[in-house]
Order: sequence, then C-alpha cells, then structure tokens
Amino acid sequence: MEARKMKLEKKIKTIFDIPIQEYVAPGGIFCQGCGAILAARLILKLLGERTVVVNAAGCFTLAVVYPYTVFKASWLYTAMACAPAGAQGIRDALDILIEKRKIDKNEDLNILVVTGDGAASSIGLQSTITAIHRNLDFWYLAYDNQAFMNTGAQKTETTPFGAATSTTKPTSLSPLGTEQEPLDLFSVWVSAGAPYVATVSPSYPVDFLDKVERAKEIKGPKLFHCLSGCPPGWNYEPALTIKVGRLAVESGVWALKEAVNGTIKHTYIPKKRIPVEEYLKIQGRFEHLFKPVKNKEAIEEIQRKVDKYWEYELHDAK
Amino acid sequence: MIKVRFHGRGGQGMKTSSRILGTAAFLSGFFVQDFPIYGAERRGAPVVAFTIISKEPILERGYIFDPNILLISDETLLLDKQTDPTKGMSKESIVFINSNKNEDYFKEKIGAKVIVEDLTKIALEVLGRPILSTLIAGVAAKLVGIEQKYLEEAVKEELEQIGANEEMIRKNILAATIGYNKVQEVKIEQTESLEPEVKVVEVEYNDPEISTPVISFVANSYLKKTGTWRVFKPIIKYQKCKSCRLCYVYCPESAIKWENNFPVIDYENCKGCLICVQECPLKAIEIVREGE
Amino acid sequence: MKKLMTGNEAAAWGARLAEVDYIPNFPITPQTEIIETLSKWIREGEMKAVFRTMDSEHSMLTAAGSASATGARVFTATSSQGLLYAFEMLYNLSGWRVPVVMVNVSRGLSAPITLEPDHNDILSARDSGFLQIHCETAQEILDSILVAYKISEDKRVMLPTIVNFDGFYLSFTREIVDVPKLEDVRKFLPEYKPTHTFFKASKPLAQGTPVLNSSLYSYFRYQVHRAMENALDVYKEVKEEFNKKFGRPIDEVETYMMDDAEYALLMTNSFSTKGKKAVIKMREKKINVGLIKLRLFRPFPTKELMKQTRGLKGLAIIDQNISPGKGGVIYSEVSSELYNYEEKPKVITSFIGGLGGKNISETEFEFAINYTRKVYEERTTLRVPILLFTEEDKKTSKTLIDIAHGGEKNEA
Repeated sequence: MEARKMKLEKKIKTIFDIPIQEYVAPGGIFCQGCGAILAARLILKLLGERTVVVNAAGCFTLAVVYPYTVFKASWLYTAMACAPAGAQGIRDALDILIEKRKIDKNEDLNILVVTGDGAASSIGLQSTITAIHRNLDFWYLAYDNQAFMNTGAQKTETTPFGAATSTTKPTSLSPLGTEQEPLDLFSVWVSAGAPYVATVSPSYPVDFLDKVERAKEIKGPKLFHCLSGCPPGWNYEPALTIKVGRLAVESGVWALKEAVNGTIKHTYIPKKRIPVEEYLKIQGRFEHLFKPVKNKEAIEEIQRKVDKYWEYELHDAK
Repeated sequence: MIKVRFHGRGGQGMKTSSRILGTAAFLSGFFVQDFPIYGAERRGAPVVAFTIISKEPILERGYIFDPNILLISDETLLLDKQTDPTKGMSKESIVFINSNKNEDYFKEKIGAKVIVEDLTKIALEVLGRPILSTLIAGVAAKLVGIEQKYLEEAVKEELEQIGANEEMIRKNILAATIGYNKVQEVKIEQTESLEPEVKVVEVEYNDPEISTPVISFVANSYLKKTGTWRVFKPIIKYQKCKSCRLCYVYCPESAIKWENNFPVIDYENCKGCLICVQECPLKAIEIVREGE
Repeated sequence: MKKLMTGNEAAAWGARLAEVDYIPNFPITPQTEIIETLSKWIREGEMKAVFRTMDSEHSMLTAAGSASATGARVFTATSSQGLLYAFEMLYNLSGWRVPVVMVNVSRGLSAPITLEPDHNDILSARDSGFLQIHCETAQEILDSILVAYKISEDKRVMLPTIVNFDGFYLSFTREIVDVPKLEDVRKFLPEYKPTHTFFKASKPLAQGTPVLNSSLYSYFRYQVHRAMENALDVYKEVKEEFNKKFGRPIDEVETYMMDDAEYALLMTNSFSTKGKKAVIKMREKKINVGLIKLRLFRPFPTKELMKQTRGLKGLAIIDQNISPGKGGVIYSEVSSELYNYEEKPKVITSFIGGLGGKNISETEFEFAINYTRKVYEERTTLRVPILLFTEEDKKTSKTLIDIAHGGEKNEA
C-alpha cells in the first residue's frame, strides 16, 4: 500500500520546490567544493532544526569544532563504530521521557545519523545492521566519498575498482590501484529489511529531496546513500564537484534508485548512457588508467560491469 | 639555529615546502627537524608547517613560537585572527609574503623586514595550478643560504615520494629555481629564545554547562569568516542572471543566499570553490583573482 | 523488607528502586542475571523503562551515554571482556559528563578466557573518568547503586559511576539483603532533572564536540578531575544522609579490627570477607592485625586512607589483579599516595592473589602478614609482588598440563 502510494506522489518536482530555509551555516572545516556538506545541507532543508545529527568519526566530525558548529540542529559525536547506537539511545530516551511525561511531546526530534563510507560500510556496519533490524526510526545520510578521506584517502569497502587511494597506489606490480569491487551498501540495507533505502547525488537535488520528502511518511530506518565528490581525495578541481556527480549518474556508474519496503525502482534512468571514460578521466584517482599508457582493458571492464548492471536492471524493470 | 615557519592553506603544499627545505638542509649537512600541524587540514583551510636548521643537535619539539623566517603563502592569512601568522615574530624576523601587492603595503602593518613576491601568478604560469610548495621552498632555501643543487635534489626526492610523474617534477624544479632566484640570501640575527615567560595558575571547577565541550550558540560557524580561504572570487553579473537557482542550490555551505529572487554571494564566508561559476548555465558568474 | 537474593538481583533491585528510564544491555557471564531480572520486571509491568538489547557493549554504552545526554536516568551492566569492548566509550561518557550508572561484575580477562573474578577488568577503567565503588556484599551492591545515582547526578560532579562486584562470589551468591521501601528511596533519590546537555527540540545544542585547541583540551579534561575531587566531598554528604535514612554506613574506606592494629591487610571487593575471617584467626594467635577495605576507588580517598593507616608497622596489600612487569595495581595506587605522608606505614608489601577467582586461604593471609612483619622487624629486603600460589595450586596445575600434553597417558 505504502509503496504504491509513494510511487505516485512526487513532492519535490522542480528546483523551485526546494525550500530556501538554511539549517547549515557557512564557515565549517570542509574542503572547498565538498560534496558531503552539500548533501547534508540539502537533507537538513527538509528535516529542519528539530533534528539531532549523530556522527561517527570522519570528515564530518570537524563540522563541529569547539566553539563553532555549522548546524542549527543539535549534534552528537559518538565514535567511529557506533553512531546508530547513539541514535538508538536518543530515540529511546525521547520516547520514554515523553511517555512518562517528563518532557513535552513537542520536544521530540528527528534523528539523523551522518557518517562517511568508512563508518557506514566497515567499522560501523554491526551497529547499523542491528539498528535496521530493530526498526529504529532514524535517518541515515551516508556521504560516500569512497575512501577514508579524513585520514587522507585510504581504501574503504566502497572504494571502486580501478581507483587509486593512499593505501592502494598503482604500482608496476599492482597497476589497477584498487582491485576489489565495492561493497553494495544499498543491497545490504535492503536485505536487512530497511523500509526505505535510496541512492542519491547532490548533483540531482530534486531527485534527492523528493526522496527525503516522501520518506517522511515512513517510520523506521531510512538510508540516503550519497555519492559525494571529494576534490582532494578524487583529485579534481573543487568547481567540478557537481559535474563529477552528474557524469557518475549519466554514465550509469551511480544509479539513482530507491527501495520502498524492498521494492526497488530506478528514479532516474539516463536516456543514453555516456561512456564511463568521461567520468573516470576527469578524476586524478583514475589517472593511472589513462597515463602514461591507456589501460584499455581496465576501462572496458568498468564499462562492461556498468552495462551489465543496467541490462539486468532495465530488463527487470520491464 | 634557524627556525622557519610556513603558513599556508590546505592544498597549497606547505607541508611539502617544509619537507623540501628540510631535505635540502639535510643534504647540505645540517641537523634538521621538519613538522607539519595536522588534523583539521582541509583544502583551503589554514595550515602551518615548520623547519628547523642547525649546526648543533636540535632541542626543540613542536610549534615554533619564535620564527627567524616566516613564509606566508597567502596574504589573506594575515586577516585570520585564529591563525595569526605573525605571532611570535621579532623585529629581526624576516617575513616573506606571497601577494600581488608591493612591500610598502605590508611594511608598516608588520614592522619587520618584509619581502613580497607574486608566486601565485608564477605557479599558474609554470604549473597551471595555484600550488606553491616548490616555489616557497625555493624562496626559503635561498633565504637561509642553501645551495641550489641541494634544493633541486630535495624537490626531486620529495615529489617522487608523493608520486609525482617526471613532467611534474621537471616543472616543479623549474618553479623552485624561479622562487630561489627571486630573493637574496639574508643574514639571520641569532637571538635568544623568545618563548615568553608564563605564569602557572590554578584551574577552578566550573559547572558542567561551561566545563563540558557543549555549544549552545548553534550555527555560529559563520563567525569564522572562511571568505579568507578564497584565491579566486566569483562575481555575479546580475544583468545576465535569470534566477534559475542552480548556483544557490549547489553552493555546498550556503554561502549564496537567496534574496529578493536573486542569488547573493556572502563574501565573508564564500571559500571560492567556484562551483557556482562552473554550474551557471548562462555564464553569468565571473572570476577575478582575490586582491585584484 | 529483608529478602534472600543474589548479588545480581541486588543490582537489579538498585536499578528498580532508582526508577531508571532506560536499560541498554548486552549479555555476558556473570552479569546476565541482572538484565534478565530487569527485563522480567519490565515485561510484567513492575518497572517502567525501555529495555534495549544492543549489538555489543560498545553500542550499549553509546546508547547509555546518548540517552543520558537526552535526559533519561540510565542503568546498564557489563563484565570483563564486555567492559574492554566498550572501553573507548568510557572516556566519551565522562567527557560528555553524563550521570550513567553501570555495574561491572568482575571476571578475569582473556587469554586464557576464564569465568571467575579478578579485578584487571575494572582497574583498566581506572583513568576513564568514571567513579568507582567496589562492593563486598549483596547489600552493598544495592546501596551503592542508589548512592551512585545521587553522587553522579550532583551538579558538582556530573560524572558516570561504575559499581563493581565479583562474579560468582557475589553475582551468584544468595544472601540477605534489606530492600528499602520505594517511597524512602524517592526521598533520598528524587527524580533526575537534568540541567546540563540534553537534547530537546526547543533548545538545540552540540555535544561531544572535537576540541582541537590544546589549552582548551587540558581545561576540559582537567575539569573531569576537578569534578572527581568534588565527588569526594559529595560522597561524604551522601553517605551521611544514606546512613541517617537507612541505617547503614558506607564509608569510603572501611576498617575492621583496626583500633589497636600494628599490621593490616588492605583489600577490595568480596574477598575482603575472607580477609576479615583471617584477621579473627590471627587475632586469636595474638597478632595485632586488622583489615582496611577500599570501597571508593575513584575518586581515590587519600585522606581517609592516611587516617586509617597512620603509624602502622606494616600494610600488606592484596591485589586481585596483576600488571605484568609492575605488579599489583592497588599497591601502586596506595603507596604512591602515602609516600609523602610522614606517618605512613613503615613497610608496605604487595601480594597478588585470587587471580581468576583462585581461593585465598587463611594460611595465605597469615603468610602475607608474617612476611610483612619479617620485613619490618628484620629489615629484610622487600620483594614485590609475591604471588599467593600454594603447593597444592602447583600440583593441580602440573596435573592438568600433563593431561594437555599427554604426559599422564599411562596412568589414564
């Protein structure tokens, strides 16, 4: 029922439906052109200041460095492994305090966990999966910059095949950089039973915020897995953050989709996918696939995987 | 002993500058320490690095409070009260500032020997990006009197370590040499340590509202005025603007406000990422270099 | 009302009488009975609290801290490996200055994995900024939990507390506990009204913020120490109020037959009972000995300790823990505190006993006191620490090692 209703009612239709209220102040310790803080700024536009942001160690930890905070909302830094556990404690405390009438129900808060991919896909996965399993009513923004960026770009579980990181540097022995395929966090959440799971991109704010707005109807864990461009970590000029995100989506590398109660739907299907090469070549982390000689095989492999994904998904959609 | 302090912004390469100077001094046969301050390093954010060069073993650790030479990669850093790059400087200190202004502009404000060169311009010409590590290392090496061959060797060694290719190394050796030849060796006045005398005091108990790292004045980060991070400044040409909102929505940290149906850039806070320039479909946002 | 109950049940009663709002939990032997008891009461409607089983002790303590920072009164419990698994969060909770009360049921640490108690687990949390109250009896467990909330929630303190007791020897041992009436407890421990750091919509705030300025970091962390110092004064007030209301003294440092003692055993936790019995036996042999029990371990009750050890010829410290390469932790703590005190004991000796719950017999206590006397009277060189390990222990160990390596094959 709920799933069907959600498919029908698009709530944020154009860029003009995005509220101009701001809940993130400028001046944070974020790199110029940071895709992650843009994602947080966008989601908070809809969640508002009656929210507590619960964080695990990562770039975002420095969004709040005493005595400054970028958020109009509340904030709690926990530790790297346990932001969803912090969310659980706050949720439970609010529920029981309201039930016991120790606080007014108007004091209730949205709970938004914000972590990087390192916390989301490795050290924090245990506390995340169990929070999903308990059907904890919370929002999770996983800004995925595909490496441990706060410590200088070491490989995580979501680092893509072929990317250079500071612990998977391409060498003559290992010319690909990262040889592993990334963990599919979307599927992990879906299979754990989360009622709402979405992939988003700050380059597609209408798609992103429409998902957020519609997900407000759903009680339980809600993931927004956001591919977030990282100028120093991906090695491109800060001005290109939106473009990089757009190329990721238009090439099909990053599929925009959602799963409502387990039913997966692509919310944007590029009409004609551009070659993945367009996405790869503007990022320094893939430079070794092009220079000094082009690694055609690797690029073709990446293209093949993307094509295969879409062939399967689109076929399925029909 | 010569104490050199480098002030710059994340991404400009100050850590590399301090290491190149350290390596060059090491190759010249001196005792050396170099050290960057890490942690909140972000592209564009203020960063500090140090190099100490000595004929004797070095009994120093950590932050250099009393530099003989200060290298400031960006004049806007002088406005940053938190960083306060000239802190601990004496009348004998030598201050190098990367700026397109002239020396007189800074002389009175700083009250020490000031050398000014526009290294960003050279960096853009030679390297194509505003990365100053090798240029500043070149300036520093000359000021302290290191031979050019050791500088070149050090540039090569340090850049190889961070994975630069041959072309980049060649360009950077050229940049370092240009920096080297822009300035003259200076006589360093050996002074007693200027580390200030301090008084040890009692710390009383305060109530938890105060004595816990809690912030109750929320969304106050605008007070930091990260507009000083900018190297390039976006300027909206309103006659071309059709209020499409893209620049506003894509501005990562809300440094573009939406007022009276038009975008307004908050220059006190805009870090100069230039996403707005890149994304404007009407090319209604122009770029000028900061200070021009 | 007097009841027969285990130490674990006494802990559960402490939480129940404190009318806690929230119990994040994760099972571990020998603590599990506490949370089983609490969950039963909640499910039967005898208690109103959220009972939340987390994925680990690390998450459990995170939820405890964040709920406390939201204004709930929080109780939780762990033991041994669980405490170590949660370790990083201990420092976070003291830094957040949240008044969580946690029980630790002591158990020896792996490897090798074991079940019975010693105190390496709890003493590892020595520097975390949690208050520590160590218990000898089931009654003390219940009482200490009530006292812990009262002190932790005091504005002058606002720090979390661990109430510690021994696995098996207390956790599973039934003895008589006087359970106070709820209305009396309410008078002693009113509803928690947070004035500091709690999340609510009407007043946003940031908590747990990074502090990258070293002066400020020093300031904040030192404030935790200052709050601990305050806790010493607050403890004195609270123990008097408690004694007046419930008629049970809960001194920071408890003494036993110390009036004319020349020598003393110094101990913590449940084995103190064994020590007391040994003191009686030694008294029968005309040895002037008493026992000092350290109940409050953080903040460290230095002044009380000075008072109780004044002028002793010898103090024998029994450590149920070992810091390899150093010795007993309590020995280090006590001797360093007494070092500058003129009337300190002439000799302080150090014994390691009861590791992994190994019994300490009367003879071993007597051995410790005799050794201490010998060092004092004959000025012999002091050897520290001495392991209390008997011929029988050695024989048992050898037999088992032989089995493990096939050495006793023929006999079998």
